[in-house]
Amino acid sequence: MKLKNKLDNIKENYINKQKNNSEVVIAVGMGTCGIAAGAEEVWEAIKDELENRNLDNIKLEKTGCIGLCAREPLIEIRENNKSTFYGDLNKERAREIIFQHISQNNIISKWTIDTGNDFFKDQERIVLKNCGEIDPESIEEAIANEAYQGLAKILDQMDSMDVVKLIKEANLRGRGGAGFPTGLKWKFAHDNDAEQKYLICNADEGDPGAFMDRSILEGDPHRLIEGMIIAGYAIEASKGFIYCRAEYPLALKRLKKAIKDAKDLGILGENIFGSGFDFDLDIRLGAGAFVCGEETSLISSIEGERGEPKPKPPYPAQNGLWDKPTIINNVETLANVPEIVRHGSDWFKSFGTEKSPGTKVFALAGKIKNNGLVEVPMGTKIGEVIFDIGGGLENGNKFKAAQTGGPSGGCIPIEHLNVSIDYESLQELGTIMGSGGMIIMDDQTCMVDLAKYFIDFCKDESCGQCTPCRIGTTRMLEILEKITNGEGELEDIELLKEMGEVIKDSAFCGLGQTAANPVLSTIRYFENEYKDHIENDYCGASVCATLFNSPCQNSCPANVDVPMYIDLVRQGKYKEAYKVVQEENPLVLICGRVCYNLCENSCNRNSIDEALAIRELKRFVSDHLLEEEGAFPVPEIKEEKEKEVAIVGSGPSGLTAAFYLRKKGYKVTVFEKESVVGGMLATAIPEYRLPKDLLNEEIAVLTTMGVEFVVNTEIGKDLSLKDLKDRGYWAVYMAVGAQEDRSLPIEGNELPDVYSALDLLRDINLGKDVNMEDKKVAVIGGGNAAIDIARNLVRLNADEVNIVYRRTEKDMPAHKEEIEEAKYEQVKMHFQVNPVKVISEDNNIKGLECVEIKGGEFDNSGRRKPMEEDNTNFVLDVDVVVSAIGQNVNDNFNKGDLELEMDNGSLISANDDHSTNIPWIFAGGDCVTGPSTVVESIQQGKEAASSIDEYLGGDGVIIPEKQKERKITSEILQEEKERVKMPTILLSERKKGFVEVEKGYSKDQAVEEAERCLRCDVEDK
Amino acid sequence: MTTTKEKMKNSEKDIDWKEVNKKINKYIEEVEEDGDALIEVLHKVQALLGYIPKRVQKKIASDLNLAPGKISSVMSFYAHFSDKPQGKYQIAICKGTACYVKGSVDIIEKVKEVYGLSSGDTTDDGIFSLEVVRCLGACGLAPVMTVNGKAHGLLNPDKAVKILEKYKNGEM
Repeated sequence: MKLKNKLDNIKENYINKQKNNSEVVIAVGMGTCGIAAGAEEVWEAIKDELENRNLDNIKLEKTGCIGLCAREPLIEIRENNKSTFYGDLNKERAREIIFQHISQNNIISKWTIDTGNDFFKDQERIVLKNCGEIDPESIEEAIANEAYQGLAKILDQMDSMDVVKLIKEANLRGRGGAGFPTGLKWKFAHDNDAEQKYLICNADEGDPGAFMDRSILEGDPHRLIEGMIIAGYAIEASKGFIYCRAEYPLALKRLKKAIKDAKDLGILGENIFGSGFDFDLDIRLGAGAFVCGEETSLISSIEGERGEPKPKPPYPAQNGLWDKPTIINNVETLANVPEIVRHGSDWFKSFGTEKSPGTKVFALAGKIKNNGLVEVPMGTKIGEVIFDIGGGLENGNKFKAAQTGGPSGGCIPIEHLNVSIDYESLQELGTIMGSGGMIIMDDQTCMVDLAKYFIDFCKDESCGQCTPCRIGTTRMLEILEKITNGEGELEDIELLKEMGEVIKDSAFCGLGQTAANPVLSTIRYFENEYKDHIENDYCGASVCATLFNSPCQNSCPANVDVPMYIDLVRQGKYKEAYKVVQEENPLVLICGRVCYNLCENSCNRNSIDEALAIRELKRFVSDHLLEEEGAFPVPEIKEEKEKEVAIVGSGPSGLTAAFYLRKKGYKVTVFEKESVVGGMLATAIPEYRLPKDLLNEEIAVLTTMGVEFVVNTEIGKDLSLKDLKDRGYWAVYMAVGAQEDRSLPIEGNELPDVYSALDLLRDINLGKDVNMEDKKVAVIGGGNAAIDIARNLVRLNADEVNIVYRRTEKDMPAHKEEIEEAKYEQVKMHFQVNPVKVISEDNNIKGLECVEIKGGEFDNSGRRKPMEEDNTNFVLDVDVVVSAIGQNVNDNFNKGDLELEMDNGSLISANDDHSTNIPWIFAGGDCVTGPSTVVESIQQGKEAASSIDEYLGGDGVIIPEKQKERKITSEILQEEKERVKMPTILLSERKKGFVEVEKGYSKDQAVEEAERCLRCDVEDK
Repeated sequence: MTTTKEKMKNSEKDIDWKEVNKKINKYIEEVEEDGDALIEVLHKVQALLGYIPKRVQKKIASDLNLAPGKISSVMSFYAHFSDKPQGKYQIAICKGTACYVKGSVDIIEKVKEVYGLSSGDTTDDGIFSLEVVRCLGACGLAPVMTVNGKAHGLLNPDKAVKILEKYKNGEM
């Protein structure tokens, strides 16, 4: 009997059996990931529930990895042609699904995973076709899904050379990482007429962060076995080995069963189906040595030796296992073979790129939302894998880099998201395709630490034979340790590069030659991070622990000692708490209300439940103090100085500089062009977020200290820069902000009802009469100004408030919490829409013509470029348009004899120490950086105050160093505990006026929340 | 505190050597045709006893006609083999890249602290032994650890200890 006939019989029987049995199949994903997430319990629960309900016509099946590991345990319910996926299951939900979905025919949509979503839709599954679809332990089901049809075809129609030629034509390249043409490799062995040859499948998936091969072995073992038999046939080898990691017990179990089943059917063994071709297959276990991924080491290991590499040539294809010609292919490479044989080389080449045809499987892991196993055509953009299939980063964090190729690879930074996935393109970027591990990293990953991690890995895994690898990786690790401990020198970076190149050139095997890649690659793209560690003892990702006390303090631009004041809140010492914040940040009440708490992203509490409510606690401290004492503590001025300093602009940066300079004893005058003090805090930040009477309470600290405020005075108009000099100011700090809205570059922008967001915010904040009642408004832009004005308009009883933004919601620069609040306040969001024209009649707006946008290539910020789509124009029915598309610096101050240099004519050009082209003028805040956050402006004000002090002959120390005793004052709560939610007012109240939305914590709530702090700053707990 | 040597002696006391030797003979018989199968035998013994005691190494050497030094040379090359007794529950905490960037170091530190273990060690009461491993291949659920091969994912330091306590108390 021919194999083909046998397969067809089995298939027919199987299908008939299914027809008789049932039409509904419940498949439970039972890969390692699924089981670890609790799939066995789910399976048991379903089985039990089906039995209890006498639903014996339903087929319950165990499959391999379905792919979306992030949502495990997963099940798929297949009925006729319909399939429903449920994710994040547990046994209770599983029982409920059987009751609702199977018995009652109600799909429980809140637990389903939309299969129409990008995760599955954008993939092309060749290798993973059956993975998660079939029961990997059933050879019949595999055969019903075309397993061994390729083998049947070659046994019938092709000789060994035909197969070699076919694979050469298909240009299948090794999926293990280097991309060597498989057909060519096979030809070397085929042309060798040795009597005994071997085929080895390298399933020692050693790259940390890679699990593609495991998933194939667990999910579709027969595909690999078929690929191996075909490869054996092509190179005329009669014996094959699968060299598999011992760490994969489930894969081994399924593989063993599959081999046994294939042997029982006569598919493996002697004279396979009368073809005269013998092929036997055995498994050899790896034993945890990464270097055994190298061909010659792997061979040594199978021979029972230490897995040390041997020199090449001779190549294994000539002289390999037991000195016989040996071909070693990776799992994914071999898993492609049956499909190519069945469908032909042209079919295969219709996927992917010319030089890299076919698909590639990736194990998408790290800080990515849709963690899982994906297969995409070669040539797909890496950004598409991350943001479309992968769904972007978890928790909406900012993408930093993708790491491919494991310890032999490198990273792909945000500016290269458009790179095509193929062997050559990735190599150009200094990384490699590798076997398919793709680890996504966000701004909480330190790239120096990552380099250290990989070098440490290679050092551990170095077999020790050759000096460059053994000693080189050790020395590189020492240097990286020095850097991450804050003891590095700038020369170390050059030394690392040099050593990296030498190791590359001189190491004996692939492991050593590529060991330095992660270091070289991180230096290539993230040299700034290395320099930050070396020059500033600063690890921006809050990873290198010797460089900071606590991650929250480390990530606060103002360097506030968070754990200290949280602990004081816990002890009920509110005044002391205020003072701890004030030491580093004089705007305590203000930041307690409007800070975008960068500290919370790095809070270690995130790994337990959620970040500590740091801002809320800061706010409580200031509110409580004001209530109890009626005023805030005023720092003492130690020694009065004669020199006078002028500060231009009374925003957060100006106020901060004024505070520290006054504290140092200088006489400080702040000039403000508006009638009120506070800059954007007073004129742009809405009353419902920062009530102005409270703002003034904190400004009162400065006036009590003796800071002079001169309002209604604009530099360039009322006074010139030179006038300041003439009036006797020794130094000037320019902190004028970026207060001018960019004008809307579309037709109709001159109409009376087209407003600038900042102008409108200013009018509202200053109490001018702004009538928006019953108006329909379109706010254009996606930043904080857009959200602020939109929410103000809700309070002014506009009939309808729309936000028109050209990118997606994820891309909005506005703060997430603010966006959520705006949605709650019924602001309508129109994403991926661009305005093209304001339509008017007799100077009255009749509508806003818009066009739809689709995302184009990725830009340097990692967001897709907005591309207008033809013929998608539509009109938004509005009668007021507000433009909030970004802000510039108003350079009126340059009207006069002195002129400050500007970058591109838009921002003041200042050095790192905030000095400018005029020696006695310093500049900082938004007018130097462009629009940023309050806390970053505070940081700039602090730095400038220190530079000005130094310029005026001081020591530049604005905050004297204090030895603080860091100790635990009460037990640390490590159990999961939700953060105390900030109470807010209801929508109906919001619509009535400008009452503050957040109500603040009560004392009990504050203490309860403070108890969640882990006190990361205390070393001995 | 008991020394490693004492611990070894204690644990070897409980081994039924007659039975074990019988099994090892069988393993060697199975691979006899395949003279290069040292690693296969080591795997089987490790699976049987959790480690490969010195006296077994000697036995394997003589049965396979190899120099005793060869056995320790091969064993020391591969991370998987150990010549020290393992705890009742063998903890393997993953330090693969995905687990690493998602905080597995904190878990390792916590487990070390709570049980007074370092990597490769066994607790005095013989309950736990700890191994820090390079990638268990369950990156989708990072950070991950396995206890006697059973994987536990999406961990944090607190969760990991809670799970280990369940093993210790026989609830798992």
